[in-house]
Amino acid sequence: MNKTIKIKGDLTDWSALFDLMPNRKKRMRNAQPVALTSDPVRELVRNIHPEVINLVIDSVRDETASAKTFRLTPDIDEGTSALPIFRAGQYLSFKLPVGEETVTRPYSIASSPLDAFERGFFEITVRKKEGGFATGRIWNNWKAGVKVAASGPCGFFYHDSIRDSSEIVGLGGGCGVTPFRSMISDIVENRLDLRLTFLYGVRKPDDIIYHDELRKLEAKAPEKIKVVFVCSEPGESWTGPSGFLSADVIREHAGGMEGKTFFVCGPQEMYRFLDAELEKLNLPRRLIRREAFGEVTDPAAFPGYPAAAVGKSFTISAEIGDELFEVPANSAESVLVAFERAKLSPPSQCRSGECGFCRALLLEGDVFITPENDGRRLADKKFGYIHPCASYPVSDMKVRILRGA
Amino acid sequence: MNEKSTERLKPEYDVVVIGAGNGGLAAALELAVKGAKPLLLEQHNLPGGFATSFVRGRFEFEASLHELCSVGSVTNKGGVRAFLEDEAKVEIDWVPVPEAYRLILTDEKMDVTMPFGVDAFIDAVGKAVPGSRDSVETYMRFCEGISDALGVIGKLQDKPDLTKIAATIQNLPAALKHIASTTPGIVNFLKTLPCTVEEVTRTFNIPDDALKIIYPYWCYLGVPMSRMAFSLWAALIIEYIRLGAYIPRMRSHELTSAMEMRIRELGGRIEFNTRVEKILVEKGRVTGLETSAGDKIKTSCVICNASPTLTYNRLIHPAEEVPEAAHRNVNAHIHGGAGFVVYLGLDAPPAELGINEYGYFISKTMDTDAVYNSLGRLGMTDMQATICLNNAVPDCSPPGTTILSMTTLYKPDVWAGVTAKDYFALKNKIAGEMIDEFEKALGTKIRGRIEEFEVATPATFSRYTGTYKGIIYGYEPEPWDSIITRHLALKDENYIRGLMFAGGFGAMCMGYSSALLSGRAAALAALKKLG
Ligand SMILES: Cc1cc2nc3c(=O)[nH]c(=O)nc-3n(C[C@H](O)[C@H](O)[C@H](O)COP(=O)(O)OP(=O)(O)OC[C@H]3O[C@@H](n4cnc5c(N)ncnc54)[C@H](O)[C@@H]3O)c2cc1C
Ligand code: FES
Repeated sequence: MNKTIKIKGDLTDWSALFDLMPNRKKRMRNAQPVALTSDPVRELVRNIHPEVINLVIDSVRDETASAKTFRLTPDIDEGTSALPIFRAGQYLSFKLPVGEETVTRPYSIASSPLDAFERGFFEITVRKKEGGFATGRIWNNWKAGVKVAASGPCGFFYHDSIRDSSEIVGLGGGCGVTPFRSMISDIVENRLDLRLTFLYGVRKPDDIIYHDELRKLEAKAPEKIKVVFVCSEPGESWTGPSGFLSADVIREHAGGMEGKTFFVCGPQEMYRFLDAELEKLNLPRRLIRREAFGEVTDPAAFPGYPAAAVGKSFTISAEIGDELFEVPANSAESVLVAFERAKLSPPSQCRSGECGFCRALLLEGDVFITPENDGRRLADKKFGYIHPCASYPVSDMKVRILRGA
Repeated sequence: MNEKSTERLKPEYDVVVIGAGNGGLAAALELAVKGAKPLLLEQHNLPGGFATSFVRGRFEFEASLHELCSVGSVTNKGGVRAFLEDEAKVEIDWVPVPEAYRLILTDEKMDVTMPFGVDAFIDAVGKAVPGSRDSVETYMRFCEGISDALGVIGKLQDKPDLTKIAATIQNLPAALKHIASTTPGIVNFLKTLPCTVEEVTRTFNIPDDALKIIYPYWCYLGVPMSRMAFSLWAALIIEYIRLGAYIPRMRSHELTSAMEMRIRELGGRIEFNTRVEKILVEKGRVTGLETSAGDKIKTSCVICNASPTLTYNRLIHPAEEVPEAAHRNVNAHIHGGAGFVVYLGLDAPPAELGINEYGYFISKTMDTDAVYNSLGRLGMTDMQATICLNNAVPDCSPPGTTILSMTTLYKPDVWAGVTAKDYFALKNKIAGEMIDEFEKALGTKIRGRIEEFEVATPATFSRYTGTYKGIIYGYEPEPWDSIITRHLALKDENYIRGLMFAGGFGAMCMGYSSALLSGRAAALAALKKLG
């Protein structure tokens, strides 16, 4: 069974074995005694996925009564000399200073990838939210010349040539038009080879963001782009389609549905409404791509929410490093918001349970997690990790927060 | 209200582990088990390094694991299971992989499915290639002897005395008789130590077609058989075929999270989002570290899960403390393959797609030199190792869906010239060709059923772990740089006192099981130093 084999022709020759280590030494001696100073792959990563992008506000433009577009250029003084390429539909997570600490808010990049890569700017369009925490500050503070910091481009709401059809139906609502503006520009600039029918639902004609611009883009590539504005409260002078983005409206304007990929982005009420409408169209799930849901502000409205927790206040013991903090929380706000109110600045990015950036370890107590936003890994569920942006306290808790990224 | 000048760690630790990949986690775990209270620092916000998973839509993808070696069944435990279950009391829901592999050689028109179990494996080769059985049996038994011998030597580390191996081999003539009588096969082991797979295997006169069926696991080492260390190969094929392969039910994130939890439970300290920026060295000795979170920690003992390449070139501070010999050492190694993986969530069940096996090796040929050369081109390579997770864990994705992942390797410099602007188109082009190749090989259609799609390139692996050039395969194990030679050289090549390595670039070579066991070995060595 133990067959003897010939090594270098001589059964009794052990020299190869005894030469092994001297050979190794020789190889080391003959190698260059120099440091490896560059790693081109690391450079590539830095170009594609910078950890931070330092920006400066170049200009501000009013779109509607409640929406402004901010043009942002690289802040060379802070170390950002060029903007990364991204995939049309992605967002940036902005870090907004609040005193010494920061909170984050995600905003879709509304400009095209070429705008960033060749023309050196991003644009985002922000709609002011009544009682909103961040948008109020943005309105007051974001003027030309002001510095802002953002994450690298993130998110998965983009067209992929391998996964998706080249015939696209876009369904946007309210401020959810922003990623479509980027996609449409990308198509017109011949980087995305698609045909896109974009149905844009708004309440009133005045709420339409980028009206003229979208029409112009459409005119540049009428064989590829079709934009349909749909108003639910159209008023007298409106001649276009009215109502919500119902299955009927979609059928009427999007033509044959067969094999087309749907991209959906809008407020949460719209997602809820469209869930039911899209069901009527009998599309395989594969063909519906939805942008991250966004932070839930009414957890109690979700099925399974424990009634006893409504309107309650709780205390979260938050462990960071060796330190323990008592954090007041209320059941209607995410655990992430509780930490932010307590000025703990935990890491976050998507605020929709999707990216895992805010990942924290639940040591004691219970949370309610909205199913739409439960993007956790299986093992995280098993071992008690939560995504605080998508978790709502329903008891006193003890949580270990990761240090800021 | 809260004064958050905090987040501070203790100013001093006996031992700090850098990196929570398989190697670092295993090191910290072993330290914690032995009552040391290690500090484990990880730059990312979760444990695992490559050993992780990610969620897209309704799918959770395994990032890297194909199958773990050396787990074994409950009654026949391999080293990994024994370490985790018996020694560290880490419970993992291990799921056996159903078959060894299905091999499809597209240019050579070969398509065979191989079982686990040495006897069954031999029979299967014999059946596929009439007349090969005897030579294959002799070969596999020979490999078993080599693997057993390596096992015996490996156990010496329990003591934990790595220098024992050195002593054993250096006093060979005297020791030989004794060892030969205790472990048959050890003489063959020592004799084949300087040999490549080809040098040894060709003496067995195995028919070519049979060799093709035996060789596919070469992909897990990524070095052509003309250069691969034979002893490592023998151990690898035997460990897989004899013990079978396993995966954690909830992806490798279950494995790494379970280790994380156990380390915490035993009083170890883990901080994520904490990148070690500097390992401070004075007069050739580790004195402490500095992190991205502003920690300054004193320690005289560091177990580093980052590669020597990264450590000597980026982490040691001041840089002048890195001796020339350390740079020569790094540059003498041949840096191994960088990873490229296509992840697919499909909206049809595996059976409907005709995907009935767990693991596929799909390759143009089994000429490993030719295939290896194809890893140097920026395009689709000649091989892919493809996994259908559902065929081991049926409910890993929702009913009616399938998870597939297709992996290949690139030589480390191939992606160096890629620009940011070309990057997305390039990765889709290669991924698309790999999908086409898979469809052709199986005669199936998966395009049109793709619900989720993601690609990890060398840049992705670099991004998430910092690994040099996106390398996932450590250093290439040629005979002079394989498991035994690396152990023998450990002392000689310890350029900075108090600094040890764990992980795929370490003395055990690459792979999950190696990285885990190397972490454990490093911890034992550290404990010995600490006294
Ligand atoms: C992927 C993605 C892309 C998006 N793209 C766009 C876009 O292109 N354009 C756009 O306009 N919007 C976009 N949004 C929505 C956007 O991120 C914000 O949610 C929106 O601007 C509202 O922010 P706000 O702070 O004004 O309101 P809210 O987030 O509703 O502000 C109230 C929140 O602040 C919390 N809060 C109150 N006081 C404090 C305090 N003292 N400290 C900390 N927290 C407090 C409250 O609990 C509550 O959760 C996007 C969202 C997602 C998920
Ligand atoms: S911030 Fe993305 S999961 Fe919480």
